[in-house]
Amino acid sequence: MTPTRRDLLIGGTAALLTTAAAGVPPLWAKPFDAAAWRDYADRFLRPEGRIVDTGNKDVSHSEGQGYGMLLAVAAGDRAAFDRLWGWTQRNLMVRGDGLAAWRWQPEGGVTDRNNASDGDILIAWGLLRAAEVWKVEAYRAAAVAIVKALAAAVVVEQAGLTVLLPGRDGFRKGDSLTLNLSYWVFPALRAFAALPASLLPDPALWRKVADSGLVLLAKARFGAYQLPPDWLTLDAKGGVTVAEGFRKQYGYDAVRAPLYLALDGYRDPYYFRPFAMLAAKSGGDAIPATVSLPGGTTTQVPASVGMLAVYRLACELAGTGNSVTVPPLAATEDYFSTTLAHLSALAAQSLGIAP
Amino acid sequence: MNRLIRPLLGAALIGLSVGASTALAASTPGGRALAPGVKVDVAPAPGSGPAAAPGAMDDSALRYYARIGDVERLEAEIARLRALDPSWEPPKDLFTPQAATPGVDESPFWALLSAGKFAEARAAIAEQRRQSPSWQPSAKLLQELDVAEGANRLRGASDTKRWQDVIDAAAAQPEAVACNRLDNAWRLAEAYAELKQTDRAFDRYKTIVSQCPKAKERRDTIFKASRYLSPEQLRELTAIGATANPAAGEDYTTVRKVEGELESGRLLERLGNPKGGALSAADLSRVEQTTRDKQDADAAIALGWYFQRQKKHAEAQSWFAEANGWSPSDKAAEGLILALAGMGKKAEAREAGTPWRGKSSRVDQALKAVADPPRGGTGGGPAAPQGPSELDMALARNDFAGCLNAVQRMIARSGPTAALVQQRGWCLLELKRPTEAEAAFVEAQALAAREPAKSDKPAKPTSRRANSDRGLEDNATPAQENAYGQAVARLATGDVAGLTRDLPRANLTTTQKAEIRASLLATEANRALEDKRYLDALRLLDARKELEPEPRNLGILRGWSLYNLHRLDQAYALFKSLDDRLSTEESREGLSTTWKTIYHDW
Repeated sequence: MTPTRRDLLIGGTAALLTTAAAGVPPLWAKPFDAAAWRDYADRFLRPEGRIVDTGNKDVSHSEGQGYGMLLAVAAGDRAAFDRLWGWTQRNLMVRGDGLAAWRWQPEGGVTDRNNASDGDILIAWGLLRAAEVWKVEAYRAAAVAIVKALAAAVVVEQAGLTVLLPGRDGFRKGDSLTLNLSYWVFPALRAFAALPASLLPDPALWRKVADSGLVLLAKARFGAYQLPPDWLTLDAKGGVTVAEGFRKQYGYDAVRAPLYLALDGYRDPYYFRPFAMLAAKSGGDAIPATVSLPGGTTTQVPASVGMLAVYRLACELAGTGNSVTVPPLAATEDYFSTTLAHLSALAAQSLGIAP
Repeated sequence: MNRLIRPLLGAALIGLSVGASTALAASTPGGRALAPGVKVDVAPAPGSGPAAAPGAMDDSALRYYARIGDVERLEAEIARLRALDPSWEPPKDLFTPQAATPGVDESPFWALLSAGKFAEARAAIAEQRRQSPSWQPSAKLLQELDVAEGANRLRGASDTKRWQDVIDAAAAQPEAVACNRLDNAWRLAEAYAELKQTDRAFDRYKTIVSQCPKAKERRDTIFKASRYLSPEQLRELTAIGATANPAAGEDYTTVRKVEGELESGRLLERLGNPKGGALSAADLSRVEQTTRDKQDADAAIALGWYFQRQKKHAEAQSWFAEANGWSPSDKAAEGLILALAGMGKKAEAREAGTPWRGKSSRVDQALKAVADPPRGGTGGGPAAPQGPSELDMALARNDFAGCLNAVQRMIARSGPTAALVQQRGWCLLELKRPTEAEAAFVEAQALAAREPAKSDKPAKPTSRRANSDRGLEDNATPAQENAYGQAVARLATGDVAGLTRDLPRANLTTTQKAEIRASLLATEANRALEDKRYLDALRLLDARKELEPEPRNLGILRGWSLYNLHRLDQAYALFKSLDDRLSTEESREGLSTTWKTIYHDW
């Protein structure tokens, strides 16, 4: 596989990143560069190596560690990467099955030992990126161990699809599964599928997972905008419904679906149209942070800067002709919004739709 | 999604005129077989080149349908392209294998689309676009996907009664409710009607009957609309459907007839409803006329009951007799017995019941009304009534609440007897109170045991001039009558397993046993259909048919079993014969669903 522009960007060379600032259109959030990383680390990375979720009582979780590791690699900051990975190993990899406990709280540490599959996937992908950039075999070995553990614990077949359980425990109800499409980190799944068979018994499994994710994103369309729900139920016959027992909505989780698709180089307008339609329908007003499904009731809470960055990307790719203004990140912007903004910038840069 | 290729491809192709040289040929060399026995002659490919100006039309779908031999869709696509450009001619090399076009071969996506795997097609296209960023799927492919998804979305919303979503889905994808997806067009109209937007529903129905060319489609649409529209609106709809945008070769007289059929149906429904009130003289004569014209025995029976309820026994008798003449049935005989009883002609009534005696519970029931009055009635009280007793009259009116009252009064007057309590059981059964009925039959059995004189004699020693030996042997003893009543009651409570277990040991006559067994088989067949065990359902129905002729409701059940086993021709023939005899919502539904499946016209 020849390296693409995306590989270079996500792989990260400080030189490329620092030169990317020229000629930025004012409507875009700033591109992700060395300065952006320094700012990110100052605000969210504690010296011991954990990313704090400032929107959620300063807890840390496997997802945040994964994002932090990816951004550290993209910025070429190996010291930060090692601190992040070290803290993750010491504090989250306590389950004994090679997966990370999903959440660590300042008081009490790990209280719920279940894993969150997207956190594990992001961590493994970060390790693979680091292994490539810094030529460290140990990172790759650690990544492979996590990928194997994921295959054993959370990859299941249902109705002809190969799907990811959101965590090892608690997502099977009778013969139905509860799934979260924002856990399909498409570029990570592609990286897993590209691992040599000498390291992984069945790399093609991950291609099947990715393909099934695309199928589910085409099936899971609800309400006037045809948006995917944050949580869905997949029944034994392949039927998809908005999951019971969760908020029946599109929101903070599912907004990442178009982001991950873009990060993986997908540009089929069909997959970006629902998000662009939501942005278009909101007109000049704030785009709502959540939309109930299938009813379509929206919250008063507006989408954050990071979410707007995703919408801007989605509108570009959907070709719907509308655009979204993304204000600069506020000094108090929370961890999740800031992360989405940076990843959106990386995706736009790699697709060649932003400098 | 199962797609069935329509058998007579040739007929469809002749109308196509795919270029001048396309014709049906038995065995033209170089002809391309689309189906067994059907070949299509094709123009010589070398050097001839495509007939149409290159790039003028997107013929990717056309070529795909030609390659897989889906003539139905090929025809539709040719018609569509013709409509866009009347001067357009289909390419002559349609059936010539094409060299793979440079770039991306779309056929895997078309195959997924044809298989109904829309999400899979989307996923494959997205992956292809990722790999070849310069490639664009054909506009036709995307449009077909959009429409198919829109249609799916609409159906899903309609199935779960999310009516506003149905309307939104149609608005987002108007092609999803075009004539070639008639069922969806109906669902959209239904959504408006369910949301009480009757004017919009009416508009949708008007669009369908004026835009969709086939007479059958228009006719079915009016039947569908009859659930929601007023008689005036239906009249308007019928007028539009019979005249608007006539297509060559279509005969719209069947559309015009719908109104009369609907009207008769409505009147018959009112006739059959005891609370429906009296019909006007004009309406009545209208129903009588249609009934005679069609020699419709079911309608004649309904008319009989209508008059019987009004105590016009002579008219009732003549309609029941008509019905029995057109198509002898125990239902007609039952009416005849009770009408004659109402006229005081007991002997004739008993005679009318003879052919069904012991073979039909409803006839046996009716005969009780003309049997000797129950013992309780002969108590020798003051002025013992002459003629039919209160109980007889109640039974002759099919007034089963009245029956219970009469029995109650007779028991209060002179104490319970096995016959009276048994009568109570039958009336409770008619009132759909099976648990009480079963208790009554048990009580009657206990009473009969204490009435030794009658216990081993046939219950109804009247009218024993049966011309068959069976008539004799099938006269049930009181004990057998009670056991039979209990069995019927258990059937009504749904105790199928218990009854099946006890039946071989039950004290029943041969015919009683056969009847209960037939009912059990019908119940089991119903259950098999619900469990989607269609072969079992057919097997059970066949077994039942050996005991008794198949009634209409089971015919419908048999039709759906055949349908689900994809024995579509048989299902269609069966629904058709049922519908010809009496067109009801059930038979029409079966007919139109099967028709649409055979011609994949969803």
